[in-house]
Amino acid sequence: MLLELQHITAAYGPVQVLEDVSLSVPDGGAVGILGANGAGKTTTLRAISGTVRVARGTIAFDGHQIRGRRPEQVAALGIAHVPEGRGTLGNLSVRDNLLVGAYRRKDRKQVEQDIEFLLDLFPNLRRRYKSNGSALSGGEQQMMAVGRAFMSKPRLLVLDEPSLGLAPSTAKDVYAAIRQLRVESGIAMLVVEQNANLAFSIVDSAVVLETGRSVLSGTTAELKGNDEIRKAYLGV
Amino acid sequence: MSGLRAPNTAVIAAATRPTPWWRTTWFRWTLAAVVFLVLVVIPFIADPYSNQTMTRIMMWAVAILGLNVVMGYAGQVSLGQIFFVGVGAYATAITLKSHWGVDLGLLGAVIAFVLAAVIPGVLGFLVALAAARLRGIAIAMVTIALPIVGVPLAKRFSDLTGGAPGISPSSKWFRTPDWLSGLLYDDQYRYLLALVIAGIVFLLVAFLVRGKFGRAFAIVKANESVASAMGISPYRTKVLAFTIASAIGGIGGFLYVVVNTFTSPDTLSFPNSINLIIATIVGGAGTIIGPILGGVYFQLVTQIPTALQASQWTTVIQGIVILLVLFLLPGGLASLPRVIRRLTAKRPDRHVGTGTAPAPIPGNPGTTKE
Amino acid sequence: MQLFIQLIVDGLAQGSIYAALALAIVLVNQATGLVNFAQGGMAVLSAYIGLAVVDLLAPAFGPGLVALAIVIAIVVALAFSFVFGAAVERLVMRRFERGDEDTAVVATIGVLTLITGLVGIIWSYNYQHFPWFFPIAQSFSIAGIGVSVWSLTTFLAVIVIMIVLQLLFMRTKLGLGLRAVADNPASAALSGLKVGRLLMVGWGLAATLGAVGGILIAPKLQLTPNMLDSVLVYALAAVVIGGLDSPLGAVIAAWGIAIVENLSAAYLPTIVGQDLKVAVPFAFLVIILIFRPQGLFGRKAVVRV
Repeated sequence: MLLELQHITAAYGPVQVLEDVSLSVPDGGAVGILGANGAGKTTTLRAISGTVRVARGTIAFDGHQIRGRRPEQVAALGIAHVPEGRGTLGNLSVRDNLLVGAYRRKDRKQVEQDIEFLLDLFPNLRRRYKSNGSALSGGEQQMMAVGRAFMSKPRLLVLDEPSLGLAPSTAKDVYAAIRQLRVESGIAMLVVEQNANLAFSIVDSAVVLETGRSVLSGTTAELKGNDEIRKAYLGV
Repeated sequence: MSGLRAPNTAVIAAATRPTPWWRTTWFRWTLAAVVFLVLVVIPFIADPYSNQTMTRIMMWAVAILGLNVVMGYAGQVSLGQIFFVGVGAYATAITLKSHWGVDLGLLGAVIAFVLAAVIPGVLGFLVALAAARLRGIAIAMVTIALPIVGVPLAKRFSDLTGGAPGISPSSKWFRTPDWLSGLLYDDQYRYLLALVIAGIVFLLVAFLVRGKFGRAFAIVKANESVASAMGISPYRTKVLAFTIASAIGGIGGFLYVVVNTFTSPDTLSFPNSINLIIATIVGGAGTIIGPILGGVYFQLVTQIPTALQASQWTTVIQGIVILLVLFLLPGGLASLPRVIRRLTAKRPDRHVGTGTAPAPIPGNPGTTKE
Repeated sequence: MQLFIQLIVDGLAQGSIYAALALAIVLVNQATGLVNFAQGGMAVLSAYIGLAVVDLLAPAFGPGLVALAIVIAIVVALAFSFVFGAAVERLVMRRFERGDEDTAVVATIGVLTLITGLVGIIWSYNYQHFPWFFPIAQSFSIAGIGVSVWSLTTFLAVIVIMIVLQLLFMRTKLGLGLRAVADNPASAALSGLKVGRLLMVGWGLAATLGAVGGILIAPKLQLTPNMLDSVLVYALAAVVIGGLDSPLGAVIAAWGIAIVENLSAAYLPTIVGQDLKVAVPFAFLVIILIFRPQGLFGRKAVVRV
């Protein structure tokens, strides 16, 4: 297993948000985190990247225990987090945004090649290459955010609600691009998504959260195939 | 639902507990009366030097009270308060010295007082008209210009202001008036005069702050967008706060002349501007008693090093004290009882909070997050 | 006409000092969102360190090598300012960066007071002479206009600084990091940038900028703890006029302020004159702010609710 969460808990001050969450992502695999609003999906991602304090449980990544480590350290180990809201660096150009993603890397030539790779994958970004981040549309910013995370050459890409705030057709385009990225690079992914259908288009399996607990998990086929589960948890 | 927890019994117990005796109304009124009596009687017991020191404290307390209105209650950093103090002082001194060319007799003192409040108030109003539209930080950056510009202005119009050496009105103004001459020595007279003026100003501000203006200040300070959504114009509120602050500062300037019997361009210098800010925060911004504590602090921090032949240490001490206060006691000395109570109280349901940034320029205890 | 150009030249030189401090203030504001009222005080401290080094080395070096002593002193002073600036960010300002900005301003005022007080105690409040490479009054003529060497040096120094800053910020990785942290620290952290360290570098860099201004003006003004108080006020005015987020705007505003000041002192000697020339920039400031609260070059502030 590349990433393994076991029974983690997390709180914001006195408010307990995660009570018992477990999930795992195999190397090169893609796992979705599904569930209603407020179920704790984003908090789970924050627990992994170190931006929220985890009181109990273990988080193991690539053999390391990463519970309690700072975000910079988690990023250094090979987890790239694309936050909700995309984290666009508005005053920097698209190129600079991508370069920030590659900040820790020392291999300049490879960095330039990776940028080319991304621009081929996301032709929109090529068109907007010199524009400031804040001038991009929502969909373009989302693709740039994914690109920025990818530039750090991570083992695991963590995406928080890529479809948030996007029109349905734009969201579909974004997901198509992410799927292409997965196919061409073989990178592992963990995707939080409210829209289960979109998630199913790129993940192999998924975990369902309800009020801070992981209550259900299974492969995409299993979850999609089960009518009861679909209606109860996925609203599909 | 898993989100609900059992009712917090400690909170309920606290809410239904009978008021402790030190908070009851009758105790507070009795305390106020006792304090008032003590204040009135002290000058007859103490020596002239102590009386003068206490009068100085009252003077600074008034100046700081003005700054407190704009900084503590309305939440804007003004580096120009000392300018208004200086203008008030000059208005007083010029009136008392030259009577503006007219013989005014005793009325002169009253006119001096009125001008000392009105002229700075008008100037403050004008400054605020331009400055209050800016972001808070820009207000600080602009008001800093006031003392810097004020000093050469004071020196330039030397016919009026006496130039660099300043003005010293005739001492007859600062002696006990004839109709009281048997009862009071000069220093006692000045003390009581300051006490009456300061007392009235403090009471006025206390009422102001408790009323709708005080609430408007607090809302604007907390969040300007919310204020405008509620129909309170942040711009107008800030202009009002500034005007009041400058008028009060001017009254402080009047008292300055009463105590020191002269004024000069040094009164409104930049270092003094900073001293006022530090004293305001150290005393406790956003409270009524804070300025009094700030006045005591300010007087001590200048007086003690001078007495010890180490006056150059005042600045360093000021720097250390303000940083310590900001780090450890952001509510100033006025918040000390509350902090001590919190540190010594037993709290069964203490929870680990997320680390948050320190509170904004400390406001009333009720408005900051615990 | 000659006088006019002379005044402009002098204004550009004087304004360059304001510009150095203004750049420092803008840099700190862009990196950490704070306005550092202690910028001038920190610069003065660095200048005093330089003086201490010169006093230490000059007797040992002898009269022929005074210039070398001054060079070493400048290098030491700039290095010190960088470290000091970084230390102030880490030890004092870190606590206030995410809170209310007015509280942070008071904290910087506290730092200013502390520095001024310490400098006064260590070196006294008397004027100290700061030795320089050439006599301050030394000048030469271009087309009949007297240009003092000092003016030229100062003006060129600021131009060089601006070019270096531009290169640093736009072409280097460090510059990219500083810009990223200034724009969106949370996102930068997720990308693995060491945010804390970059903030310290930002403050260190700003302190060095201010120190350059302080060292340039020290030989002219004579060193005293309060030497840069009024320069600070000019720099703040320049930043407000030029826009809090525009380095170029701040520099141009700084030059403008100094030029206007000189012109009004010379052409309106009775109304303004040498002593009241300090009031003229502020009169302009007030007028500009009434019509454009965000300054001439700044962007309208977006209030995040």
